[in-house]
Amino acid sequence: MAFQPRRRFTRRKGCRFCIDNTLTIDFKEIRNLRYFISERGKIIPRRISGNCAEHQRGVTEAIKRARNIALLPFTASHQLDK
Amino acid sequence: MRYYETIFIVQPDLAGDAYTEVVDKFKGILNDLGAQMVAVEEWGNRKLAYLVKKQKRGSFVLFAYEVKPEGIRELERRMRIDEKVIKFLTVQPEGGYKPSSFVSVATEESSRGADYGREREVEGSAEIADDEEQD
Repeated sequence: MAFQPRRRFTRRKGCRFCIDNTLTIDFKEIRNLRYFISERGKIIPRRISGNCAEHQRGVTEAIKRARNIALLPFTASHQLDK
Repeated sequence: MRYYETIFIVQPDLAGDAYTEVVDKFKGILNDLGAQMVAVEEWGNRKLAYLVKKQKRGSFVLFAYEVKPEGIRELERRMRIDEKVIKFLTVQPEGGYKPSSFVSVATEESSRGADYGREREVEGSAEIADDEEQD
């Protein structure tokens, strides 16, 4: 049996905030933050979003602030449009 | 003097004069506290992400100003007392005032629908991107 190298994990995408430094993290810009929350309203982990630690921290903070002022949901189960 | 931003949500059923009265009231309070206004943004009537005081919508107002730290305590105390303010959040942002994208968002019903559609689209594209990532 030939050894098959596990090459399933390819292309580690870089942190989008590090690549493009015109992007800013702001809890008021929910349109940009939407990318970092799942359908259920959960924060997407770093291993999937590809953010670096510093920027992931910023995103997390921003999402939590946005939740606090009802710009983003804590959970999808309380969604009002249904 | 430190730079702060306070966002507060005003009861949605207040329109016109009653609404401006609330905004002016808090502007006046800040003035009395010796604050220096940097900017005021009115985002209009927006849908809330979840129910707040049994309300589905609310008028968002953002104050950007400089005030002594004690001023915040007084402002927040007054906001807690006023029932017309259903929620507020004060932050000390880094890097000073930057206008947010909500200012241009119109408040009419028709444009709100379009706006919502756009947000859904963004969500959809995020999903696709995630799928790629996991492959």
